[in-house]
Amino acid sequence: MNLRVNWHRTTRWLIQIAFLAFFVFAFVQTRYGVPVTFQNIFFRFDPLVLVVASIAYRTIITSALLALPLLALTLLFGRFFCGFVCPLGTTIDIIDAAIKKRLNVGHALKNTKYYILLFLVLTAMLGASFLHFFDPLVILERSITLIFYPVSVYLASIFTLTPVIVYTESLIALILLIAIVGLNFFSERFWCRNLCPLGGLLALLSKISIFKFSFLEGCTKCSICEKVCPTDAISFESEKIDAGECIDCLRCQYECPQATIKYKNSLTPAPLDVGKRQLVTVLGASILLAPLAKTLLHQKVLGRLIRPPGSIPESDFLNTCIHCGKCMKVCPTNGLQPCILEAGVNGIWTPRLAARIGGCEKNCNMCGQVCPTSAIRKLPLEEKTYAKMGTAVIDRSRCIAWEQDKVCLICDEACPYNAISSLNETIRGTTLLRPFVDELICTGCGLCEARCPIEGRAAIEVFSIGEERIRQGSYITEEKVRLRACEEKIEDIPSGFIIDN
Amino acid sequence: MKISAGAALATLMPKSLFGASNANGPVIGVAQGDRSKLVATAIDLLGGIDRFVKSGDVVCIKPNLSFASNTDCGATTSPDIVKQMVQLCLNAGASRIFVVDHTIQDATLCVERSRIEEAIIDKKVSLVTLQQERQYYEIDVPAGTELNTIQVAKIVRDADLLINMPTAKTHSATGVSLGIKGLMGLIWDRGHLHRVNLHRAIAELATVIKPGLTVVDATRALTSGGPGGPGKTVTLNKVVAGTDLVAVDSYTVGLAQWYKKSWTGNQVKYIRAAADLGLGEINTSNMQIKEAAA
Repeated sequence: MNLRVNWHRTTRWLIQIAFLAFFVFAFVQTRYGVPVTFQNIFFRFDPLVLVVASIAYRTIITSALLALPLLALTLLFGRFFCGFVCPLGTTIDIIDAAIKKRLNVGHALKNTKYYILLFLVLTAMLGASFLHFFDPLVILERSITLIFYPVSVYLASIFTLTPVIVYTESLIALILLIAIVGLNFFSERFWCRNLCPLGGLLALLSKISIFKFSFLEGCTKCSICEKVCPTDAISFESEKIDAGECIDCLRCQYECPQATIKYKNSLTPAPLDVGKRQLVTVLGASILLAPLAKTLLHQKVLGRLIRPPGSIPESDFLNTCIHCGKCMKVCPTNGLQPCILEAGVNGIWTPRLAARIGGCEKNCNMCGQVCPTSAIRKLPLEEKTYAKMGTAVIDRSRCIAWEQDKVCLICDEACPYNAISSLNETIRGTTLLRPFVDELICTGCGLCEARCPIEGRAAIEVFSIGEERIRQGSYITEEKVRLRACEEKIEDIPSGFIIDN
Repeated sequence: MKISAGAALATLMPKSLFGASNANGPVIGVAQGDRSKLVATAIDLLGGIDRFVKSGDVVCIKPNLSFASNTDCGATTSPDIVKQMVQLCLNAGASRIFVVDHTIQDATLCVERSRIEEAIIDKKVSLVTLQQERQYYEIDVPAGTELNTIQVAKIVRDADLLINMPTAKTHSATGVSLGIKGLMGLIWDRGHLHRVNLHRAIAELATVIKPGLTVVDATRALTSGGPGGPGKTVTLNKVVAGTDLVAVDSYTVGLAQWYKKSWTGNQVKYIRAAADLGLGEINTSNMQIKEAAA
């Protein structure tokens, strides 16, 4: 191996590691108190998000329009994103470097990524988004959030006083990540070359890109280029390089002993040969799965699916949310949790407010700030407090103030909106302050549910009753402002004062 | 019995220059006026900070930081009042000062909104939120009928002096929340107190957690909507200090109208329960109330 090759390898590694490090840095900086500027930039550059979410939502996701320059650059230079930028690709490369023995199978599967891309587009047209299972950036971000973040915080909590973070669903995310990385045992960059639909989208553009790698005169058929290519894009026999498969890693060019591979402009498009039978299968699968995903909405039955404040209407939400987990990472109370089946099978990893774990703090609007697709709207702090997520309901048979004549009223204490009134109520001869919810003031933040001192299920729980889900416009109404500002609210004197003394 | 003896003594003793009612009763220092000098003035009325803090002491200051509401809302202790206390302790030679609380809402947000970091003025001073169970240790409550054992913050055990710095506010369950109630910010499982007789349980806390000094931030009082607010606040511009926790609480009850009514300390169940446990003086007529303009 000559010096030149080493230099090239090192440079490419450095660029890849830099992007991966930036991805992780953006993740770490996704936290309460840090203004949101660059934290969701990768998703806003993601062309797959732009295409699939925009089709499913029937509206251009403007925040993701940054993907257009990437598409233009790909038309010019090919799939450099996969070879240099993609942090999941880099992660896979790191694992690849550690794998010594490979089965070397799966070379015939490279069209699968186009079928998956087509499936995503067709289902999006039919009104369901399956993006979250396949987008590489989403998969990596979610894996970090649900797996590595709680693990690292737990380890840190052994030595410091950092509060532990929990997520109700980390295992399924872990299995998916292991599967994707583990596929490398079959062949190098198995996921990228065969399955990744973002790779597929960029590959389609690469096929007609202006700059491509091609053979010059004088090839000695030594086969080195074909062996070193990580995506199986080269056939040395026919002296052809498939620009769709090529990820611009430059390895062939630098490894070629005759220097007969060059990166140069060429307007000949690379061919695309997809099977008719497979296309029909994809069409069938889309027609079958898209409606199934739409009909499996459970939240109407249970009424316990509380979305983050400012979430757009549910079916739009499911189509726009890319399930990346940014909102769950940033939530300071750990209350935003990934759904397992609460929002249907396809709603897995979408955020829900699990108020028993943590409520929605009045002074925080971070989830809407970090959401890359505005599935959770970017609301100013004041307006966020008016975005009603649901209504708290007291279960009097569990409440110790109602059932056991205890001086509790922690829910009243916890409510930052004064939506809980403590009023004297006589039951079986005992007069005591007992809590009542004012449903017109309650925003469904769940801070009461989080703090209810009952073991297990809280005696006050938030249901999606009265939740407000609007695509645009203000949540603030004159009536709401008037109700909340009502200082002279009826409130009985606490039983902490001995009245008859 | 105790009260009548005190009253008898009062008639025998000459009245002090400060107009105290009972020369043997607990001293309450009340400062009013220039906000920037309130704490020093009130402590001076008790005999100065050197009475409480010796050189090299480790001091725990416990303000109320429970709620993530803006400091002017009156639900949390004013940062400038805490800062004055910190400065006094530093002047007296404290080697380490911990500003501690077990916040009710998210600690990060409580710290941010209460602006308590303004009181962290020296590298000897640290802010410690008590959100983890392992920051606590379990102790028996020998006088307890509601509590057998309780998990109390270790940091209090390890300090030479605990200074309790509540803010004057209403409370939906206990009427008012002052010094004794503030001790709930030094225990792990607050919910348990609500599942037993709350008022008595709060008083029992004071049998095992003993602040050497209580300084109430009565610069403003949250007179409705407590403990978290929002509610009505009245400006009192006062700081009340004392070593008798019951006396300080009882006196402070008389400073404002709570829920639009005037009350005495005797009418607040948990203060009465603490007095019944012999923890301090509840009748203001038996206290030496020293007032001074800051």
